[in-house]
Amino acid sequence: MTAVRCVDICKTYRQGDQDIKALDHLSIDIEKGDFVCLMSPSGGGKTTLLNAIGGLDIPDSGEVWVAEQRIDQMSKGQLADLRLANVGFVFQAYNLIPVLTAQENVEFVMQVQGVPAKERRSKSLAILEEVGLRDLEDRRPAEMSGGQQQRVAVARAIVSRPELVLADEPTANLDSRTSDELMELFTELNKNHSTTFVIATHDQRVQRYAKRLVRMRDGRIVDDIEQDAA
Amino acid sequence: MRMLPVLIRLAWRYLWRNHRRTIVMLSAISIGAWAMIFMTALTRGMVDQMITDGISVLPGHVQLHNPEYLDDPSITNRVSLTEAELETRYADAGFEAWASRVRVPAVITSERESRGVTLLGIDPIAERDFSFVDYDKVDGRFLESPDDSGVVIGAKLADTLDTEVGKRIVLMSQDPDNEIADRGFRVVGLFHANMETYEDTYAFIGKKTAQKMLRIGDTTTEVVFFGNDYRNVEPTYEKVAAAVDDSMRVSRWTEVDTYLGTMLSVMDGFMLIWVVVIFLALSFGLVNTLVMAVFERVREIGLMLALGMKPASILGQIIIESMMLLAVGLLIGDALAWLTVKPLESGIDISVVAKGMEMFGASSVLYPKLHMDDVILSNVVVLILGFLASLSPAWRASRYEPVEAITKV
Amino acid sequence: MNIVLRLAWRNLWRHARRTWLTIGAMVFSNTLLVFMISFQFSMYGLMIDNTLQVFSGHMQVQAPGYKDDQKMRQVVLDVQPLAERLRGELDSETIAARGWAFGLASSEERSYGIGIYGVEPEFEGNVSNIPGLIKDGQYLGKSDAMDIVIGGMLARNLRVGVGDELTLLGSGLDGSFAAAVVTIVGVFESGVKEIDRNIAEMPLGAFQEVFYMEGAGHQVVVLAPTLNDAPLVERRIAATLPDNLVVHDWVALQPGLKQAIQADMSSAFFMYGILVILVAFSVLNTQLMSVLERTHEFGVVMALGMRPGRLGRLVMLETTLMGLIGFLLGAAVGALLTYWFSVNGLSYPGMEEMAANFNLPGRVYPQVSLLKTLFGPAVVFLFTLLAAVYPALRLRRLHPVEAMRTI
Repeated sequence: MTAVRCVDICKTYRQGDQDIKALDHLSIDIEKGDFVCLMSPSGGGKTTLLNAIGGLDIPDSGEVWVAEQRIDQMSKGQLADLRLANVGFVFQAYNLIPVLTAQENVEFVMQVQGVPAKERRSKSLAILEEVGLRDLEDRRPAEMSGGQQQRVAVARAIVSRPELVLADEPTANLDSRTSDELMELFTELNKNHSTTFVIATHDQRVQRYAKRLVRMRDGRIVDDIEQDAA
Repeated sequence: MRMLPVLIRLAWRYLWRNHRRTIVMLSAISIGAWAMIFMTALTRGMVDQMITDGISVLPGHVQLHNPEYLDDPSITNRVSLTEAELETRYADAGFEAWASRVRVPAVITSERESRGVTLLGIDPIAERDFSFVDYDKVDGRFLESPDDSGVVIGAKLADTLDTEVGKRIVLMSQDPDNEIADRGFRVVGLFHANMETYEDTYAFIGKKTAQKMLRIGDTTTEVVFFGNDYRNVEPTYEKVAAAVDDSMRVSRWTEVDTYLGTMLSVMDGFMLIWVVVIFLALSFGLVNTLVMAVFERVREIGLMLALGMKPASILGQIIIESMMLLAVGLLIGDALAWLTVKPLESGIDISVVAKGMEMFGASSVLYPKLHMDDVILSNVVVLILGFLASLSPAWRASRYEPVEAITKV
Repeated sequence: MNIVLRLAWRNLWRHARRTWLTIGAMVFSNTLLVFMISFQFSMYGLMIDNTLQVFSGHMQVQAPGYKDDQKMRQVVLDVQPLAERLRGELDSETIAARGWAFGLASSEERSYGIGIYGVEPEFEGNVSNIPGLIKDGQYLGKSDAMDIVIGGMLARNLRVGVGDELTLLGSGLDGSFAAAVVTIVGVFESGVKEIDRNIAEMPLGAFQEVFYMEGAGHQVVVLAPTLNDAPLVERRIAATLPDNLVVHDWVALQPGLKQAIQADMSSAFFMYGILVILVAFSVLNTQLMSVLERTHEFGVVMALGMRPGRLGRLVMLETTLMGLIGFLLGAAVGALLTYWFSVNGLSYPGMEEMAANFNLPGRVYPQVSLLKTLFGPAVVFLFTLLAAVYPALRLRRLHPVEAMRTI
């Protein structure tokens, strides 16, 4: 089953007086349960692709399908619903809402979804346990380390069991030990729940964990290989 | 609606994230709210007093006259109904109080001086409750019955006339045939009033005595009626009007004393303007605070949008935050106003400007009044205007594109 | 432009919206202050002028005690020669003698008690506006004719007009019965109910005859060239008066007037004060934010060797610039608004009824003046600077390293 399908998508940005082709007639299919690593130098288009898949950004042309639905023609509200139900996000930084505690951050998405309080509580505590943060549930982001913050972000991304998790440079602000731990967590989740992961990164260490390695340059895929994950 | 708890929690926490700014803004709102209510309480107290005093001098919420009387207050323009007829019509109509009286211009003469006065022939028992004279505080005694043969004048007038309790004066007016009608009276009492002009202007005699002196049988010049609220005189007006024909004129107090009537509506208008002006002065700070609050959390707004929160929820969150700020500020301001007005309710002595207050028609003691209606009105006006002022920053916040917002440094 | 000044100016526009909102608060308050203060003082001026020009004048010479009791026997002896002497000594025509008595005025049909002034017809017009308000007939002529002018409402109540006769009854100076028949030569309308209903004027000579005054009167009214000259004129008159006479200034003659102004002013200034404080809070908020958000930046320049004091001055300079814009815009808008009303006049519903109580017209034309325009904005400016002191002082507690660590 296909989790994500992009058909011939283009996206051009204006920067200063220059047009930049972030995505240039790009097509890609991602199977359910896959663990994909998008690699490119800065400005290679990986973040744009990720945003297009997550419905945060709409391509100028082409089709984007997520969970068997065409999303590039959806309204903002529909996109929000789609993200809420099907997609989990982990960003590079500023992942958490600073005025909420770890647990409240995890509960946030469920709350928006309208999950009852009791269920929210048990689910969020369980997921914090799973990512190894059981004791820190009452801390606010400012009181946690960068690694711990990213774990909370991961917990939030997967708590409602989305089919697809998109991560944009999740390890950029972490030291090597913490990023290894984070990637192991990703791998485990991928294995246990067959959640599809798409990770944009230029961190060499992250690549080792990927089942599929997609290299991009100037908005095009230049290399697409399957590999045995570490 | 199910988002409400989370929005409220977010708004509340964000409010205290930058506590310095919130405290500065809260202080401003509290001071503004305090000033609104304090000032309103002062004016309200003053206007209430003015109108209550004014109505007790008129007197009455509603008056019944000969149609000619208001322009030409002469003894010829009397109420065409006799007292017996009035009694049958109004005795059981359910007014708080009513009385018929004789009011004519007259000249009062002592051994040394003469002055013009307004002569009031009254039934002292019927008027006891609404008279501007406190019977118990009269030097000497007040009139005791409609047949009383004495006269009660103001302490100030007694000074001018060089007379005192026990001395005789002569009252002179005219009868319906334009013959001089005069009679000697013994001064039995001197009254004191909130305003010096009253002490200068009025002389009280018994109603029956007045009717005899003026040779008008059992007719009177005015009938006065009280309902229970000076702001709502319509029920009284209608009750009075229903029982008379065109040969009589029924007027509300606002028509009899246009200055007082105007004062009431001008002051009501003034208070609303004052509330709006304070709000406008605050609104710049409020909008500024919201703009800053949105600006410094653009990324977080982007994040919430990316996670699937609807723009409407972002809008709601900012508006709730603004409402909370206002509500807390208003609460503090209300409390401050209550704390400052309560101890002053026994009266503020402003007799240093007594003569000036008299020009306004107000007495020299100010009794601030905290009316619940005024407090609610000012609070509600601020909340409504605050809501409108928050719309623009909140709308902008909800219009962010998640991607741009997140990537904004 | 000086580099620090340029820096301050640029900093101001980094958050243009915020700066404009803060300036907006200033402009709003300044406009209101300029307009309200101009309007208010124009009203006071009118109130004083209109009230004093009816009867009181700027000062009066009277017998001691007359002011409070107005008794017939508290007289100024030989009042006309005294007025004549003062006119000579002060070289002024705006001085007139008067007598006052209470009497009963009767027409064919009606009788009313009224106040009767005996006036010098040739001088009365210089100290009172009543002679100029004759609507029917004319003002008094010869100073001993048995003529009278009365208020319009009195004429209507008595059912008389010009040419009709009135009978006056009263008591003379010696307490004896006084009576006369006088002819109405004019009817005036001042617009003030109390005056139009209760007042009549007759020539002083005739007045003295009717009430057996024997040359005496009750007051010499003096109008100084302007209100400001009044105290000087008062001192000159006081110096020449015999011991049995006193001179009272307008504040003593019309105590209500000054007190009404004081009462109104204190409530107005309470409101202005609140406005100014609210603006100060707005500025405090903005400048505090602007300092806090630049903590990192300030840390850097301090690390480079800039002293905290200079940074504080930079913040004060920014505030000064912002305050100046608010000052200029507010004063200008306020002055324009006032100017517009000075041409078109200002009235609000109910003003006419209210104004009549204070001898004011139903429409007021506030005057623009430099002092009244600058006063409010200057106070706002001062408080703006005061409000920025706390944020500026906070900078002194800044440590470069910690500051740079904050984002």
